Amino acid sequence: MTTSQKQASQAQDAGTAIALTNCAKTFADGTRALMPFDLSITAGETLVLLGPSGCGKTTILRMIAGLEFPDAGGAIHFGDDDVTRQSIEQRRVGMVFQSYALFPNMTVAENVAYGLKVQKVGKAERDQRVREMLEMMHIDMLANRRVDQLSGGQRQRVALARAIAPRPRVLLLDEPLTALDAKLRVRLRTEINALLRKLGITAIYVSHDQEEAMALGDRIVVMQKGEIAQIGTPQEIYRAPKTPFVADFVGASNCLKVDIENGRALLGKVDVDVSPAWNASQTTDGLSEIYFRADGLALCAADDAHFTARVEAVSYLGERLRVTVSGIGEEAVLVDTDPDTNMTPGETVHCRLVPERLTVFAAS
Amino acid sequence: MRRTGIFYAQLGLTILLCLFIVVPIVMSALAGVTVNVFQGLSSGLTLRWIFEVWDLYASSIFLSLWLAIACLFVTLIAGVPLAYVLVRKPGRATRLFEELLTLPVAIPGLALALALLITYGGVSGYRSSWLFILTGHVLFTLPFMVRSVAAVMSAMDMKTLEEGAASLGAGFWRRFFTVIVPNAKPGILAGALMVVTLSVGEFNLTWMLHTPLTKTLPVGLADSYASMRLEIGSAYTLIFFVLIMPLLIAMQILANRSSKPARATAEDK
Repeated sequence: MTTSQKQASQAQDAGTAIALTNCAKTFADGTRALMPFDLSITAGETLVLLGPSGCGKTTILRMIAGLEFPDAGGAIHFGDDDVTRQSIEQRRVGMVFQSYALFPNMTVAENVAYGLKVQKVGKAERDQRVREMLEMMHIDMLANRRVDQLSGGQRQRVALARAIAPRPRVLLLDEPLTALDAKLRVRLRTEINALLRKLGITAIYVSHDQEEAMALGDRIVVMQKGEIAQIGTPQEIYRAPKTPFVADFVGASNCLKVDIENGRALLGKVDVDVSPAWNASQTTDGLSEIYFRADGLALCAADDAHFTARVEAVSYLGERLRVTVSGIGEEAVLVDTDPDTNMTPGETVHCRLVPERLTVFAAS
Repeated sequence: MRRTGIFYAQLGLTILLCLFIVVPIVMSALAGVTVNVFQGLSSGLTLRWIFEVWDLYASSIFLSLWLAIACLFVTLIAGVPLAYVLVRKPGRATRLFEELLTLPVAIPGLALALALLITYGGVSGYRSSWLFILTGHVLFTLPFMVRSVAAVMSAMDMKTLEEGAASLGAGFWRRFFTVIVPNAKPGILAGALMVVTLSVGEFNLTWMLHTPLTKTLPVGLADSYASMRLEIGSAYTLIFFVLIMPLLIAMQILANRSSKPARATAEDK
């Protein structure tokens, strides 16, 4: 870290805590975008709003930004400051958009200086700060370029520098990496992560990508149809999804309908002890659904098997082989195995459930 | 490349067509500097007619230029914000308004002029001033300015740009003048040239609206054709041509520049 970067990070305001209380959003045409909810974000935390399109995650972000206002009764606080009725100009937020939203009529340096100019920061200090920001984002050599001469990754770095330069109270990122190609996405994600930790700024990040959410979030809010489905750390969300929707969304897309009796799952003649998952789920006996990832089922020898299944499709993923098998439940199930295994569609295989990798829900 | 008979036939046809259009222009221009057009070039060349036109119609020429500038001023002040609203707030009301705005282009200028005369013809101070003609010109040219600016504005994702600027603390006017207007510049420039060109050349409307003291360049041209020697009319055309050509060329250059694709983006290292 250079001296200027150190100064920059020290100068950054310590994060601001954010609280949304009883916020709901009904659009002018009567559509309910968000059911009433409470959400608090601690100072310096990175919170990821995760969900499919149309779930309301962007609406929450825009509400915090001041681009949307909650229905009557809702309140938004930045620290002790009630910002509910403040417009976006007054809230001191930094925003990063999927489409970059850089000003094409300005150079990179002018873009980054824009917020400082609005705040009437003097020229010397402004130039200094712009330089620090560009160095921090490793784009100092692009200072005098025009926006249309930059690649997508460079543009998003400029957008980040521009958002951070005026020292916002919170940084809001609306799917900033979605427009980039896969490799660049991962690299920039790592950089953003390091940046957020270094600055200690409160950040809210909207994403539809589970992997991105896991990598960046201190906590993740999984959204479904305008409601918060679950809030938790990446581990909690991944290992203990609270609803079938969350389980499915974070990758546990295999589902078996079973009957549960005293912690044992019954499916036809099969009888498996699933008590760890069942205890955790706090469901009662009766018709249930078991959700699991491709590692929740394992191929095994015929003697240890719970099920006999038929291979439908095989896809080679490099570090593992993903096999689609049928004949266990109503729908086909994905299972991972050693990539060196020889397997052809039509073949019969034996498999068993891995009880500690299952999640049990009452039947919907 | 082997050139066939068909190629030469096409070339010949093209040249003929070009000549068909270009020759009258050259003839007209020449007539303006010929001593006696009925005797032809053999009578000699002269600038006499040009000076005569200048003596007779200089006021018309200046009035036209003044009108064009005033018209540009008004269409800029009204047209740019109007285009902004039309693009930013799409809906039935704005669509209707846009149609209304375009109406003067579709309606014959004479009808438009008649409507103005019927309504305001009795307001004598207004009727006899250049402002009356300005009104007509603004009605006629405003849609061109609005269309040109709106086209650029709708291509630039104004909503997100404005949200970006607002998040950095910029209020409406600051956003409008530092982000929206500079980025709409190609459209504003193209619209401006269009407005000036149309205003300078407008005849239909102006002919109905003018008074002997508010004669514009094209009206003067008609007048000179009708009541003077052919040489004077032609010399007049020549002056008109010299005035309007640079505008047309500038318009073409601008159009080329704004349609050129952005330079290829640098790859991420």
